[in-house]
Parts: sequence; structure tokens; C-alpha cells
Amino acid sequence: MQEQKSSFPFNMVERMMPMYPAIAVMGWMFVLIAFLVGLYALSPAQTAFFSDAKAVREGATIGSVFVNANLSSHALEAWLPQFKFFGLGLGLLAIVMALGTIAKRLRNMGQVIFTQLPENMRPAMPPPPKQVKVFQLSALMGIMVLLVVLIIGIVLAVGVVSGYWNNSIANELNPAQPGSALLSQLSVVSSYFYWLNPLRMIGMASLFTAISVALYVIIGTLRTQTRLLTGLVQKAG
Amino acid sequence: MNASQTAKTPYQLKLFPILTILGWILIMLALIIGLVVLTPTAINYFGANSKEVRDAAEAGSQLLSQISILASIPLWLEPLTFLGVAFFICGIALEFSVIPSLVKMRGDAMAKAFPLIVKLGS
Repeated sequence: MQEQKSSFPFNMVERMMPMYPAIAVMGWMFVLIAFLVGLYALSPAQTAFFSDAKAVREGATIGSVFVNANLSSHALEAWLPQFKFFGLGLGLLAIVMALGTIAKRLRNMGQVIFTQLPENMRPAMPPPPKQVKVFQLSALMGIMVLLVVLIIGIVLAVGVVSGYWNNSIANELNPAQPGSALLSQLSVVSSYFYWLNPLRMIGMASLFTAISVALYVIIGTLRTQTRLLTGLVQKAG
Repeated sequence: MNASQTAKTPYQLKLFPILTILGWILIMLALIIGLVVLTPTAINYFGANSKEVRDAAEAGSQLLSQISILASIPLWLEPLTFLGVAFFICGIALEFSVIPSLVKMRGDAMAKAFPLIVKLGS
């Protein structure tokens, strides 16, 4: 059976479609790593920071256990949720790829059945629906947005977030005055999640849209095949 | 089964695009509020005032109204975002609900067409 070739990048996407089990396992591993980092790094950092009185932990100097623990927990909180959502995104991508594979196999199956008929009785093979490219692009866009959000989270964690929290709270952070580098860092540290969290939801929305459209393609294929088979019986009868 | 049965669009297929669009509207709304309201407010509140000034803010001051925005809007904005996700999931569930009957109809059509295909193909 000769399959129709798609143009770049859709041919690449179609070649990758059957790899959905590996992508699903990878997504699951991302979420597992997020859980383990929370359990073995974030939680102990918070426990260490809150192990003494407020005056002691806020008065602690750079290099102390308290400043390091506070720095670790804030840096981890900057990238860990993005990492976890990227894992969830890979899981959704695997679903889209599985649905795409089902749609393609259904189409091939229909083609195989109709090639058994003599050419004069063979119904014209409908072209692949336009929605195929829509769900492929939507899935790609979704995972790219989640990847960009993860990269931004990592850049923030190693840059501004670490730079700001690697200071004594009482001696350096609290006395910072308007116009200082510390207050500019604080404005970034206290505001990035207001736009970054909804942005990652845009990535998730693209992946959900891809699932919806892929299902619509499967439904369309089933309806078309039913219509063609019914038409064949009616034509012969 | 006849052709009109296959041509009839189930209500789920009419409803799911509306749910998907509603999901997009809510998530875009959350992004716009985050970008246009919360982020500038946070930058102004934390970046332009020292801790001493922020802590000494009096009732009715701009600083207190800014912190009340930062403390209250995210409490409903995040559930609103997840309401958007719920719209997507409902749409997907509606689409899945159509598939069993379609597979049955296709199976019935195949059962009727199969002897004809075998006869014509041989």
C-alpha cells in the first residue's frame, strides 16, 4: 500500500507518531523527577530554613545554612513547576501521537479494503482532512511553549532568583532602597509567575486542542468509511 | 442503517468546539490579566518601594490597594484557568462519547459490504 507523503515538517511529525509509548514514559519520568526533587531537595531546604527563630534565619549572613536553604527553595520553585508541566505536556503529546497513529491506521485500513474492489466500483479515496495538519501544529506549538517556559524558569532560577535570595534578609534585602539592584531583582522575583504560569497553561491548551482535533479526525474517518461502505452496498443493490 | 444516519451530526460534535473555544477564552483571559494587571502591579509595588515604606502603608494608600490586588486576584484567577482546562476536558469527553456508536455503525456497514467486496474482488 503506497502511503501519501507529506511535506516538511509534517513528514517528520508523521514519522515520529508511532513513538508515543517512549514519549509517554519520558513524560512520566519528568513528573517522577519533579516529585523526587520536591521530596529530597525542596522539602529539606524548607525544613532547614524554618528550623530556627525568625530573627535568627533573617539575620543569617551569606554562606550560612539559612541563606543557602532559602536560596535553594526559591531557585527550585522557579524551575520545578515548569519542569513538572513539561512532563505533563509530554504525556498529552503522547496521547495526540497515539490518536494520530490510530487515524492513520484507520485510513490505511479503508484504503486496503477498497483496493480489493474492481476499479470501476472503487470509491474515490478522499484526501487526508486538513485538520490533520492543525492537530500536528497545535501539538508542536503546545510542547514548544512548555519548553520555552521551562527554559525561562531555569534562566530565572540560576539568574535573578539566585542573585536576589543569596543575601541576608535582615542586613541586605530588607534595607534595600528604591533604585537599587536588589529592589529591581525583587520586582522580577515577585512578578514573573503572574505571566509565566498562565503562559504554560497556553501550552497545555494547545495540547488539549490538538487532542480534540485528532479525535475529530478519527470521528470524521469513521463516518466517511461508514458512508462509503453504505454507498457501495446501495449502489450494488 | 442508512445514509441519513451516518450524515446526522451528533450533538456532541456540535458542542465540543464551543467548549474548546470557551477553554481558550478563559486561559487567554488569565494570561492577559496576569500580563496587564498583576505583573505591572507587582513590579511597581516591590520594585519602587523599600520594605520600610511598604510595611508602613496606611489605609486608603495606593500601596495597600496594590497589595490587596496582588493578594486577592490570583485566588480566583487560578481556579478560572483550571475552569478553562475543565472545558477542554469536557469537550474531549464528549468527542469520545461519540466513538463507540460510530465504531458500531462502521462495523454494521462493513458486515453488509463484506460479502459484496469478496464477490466483486474475486
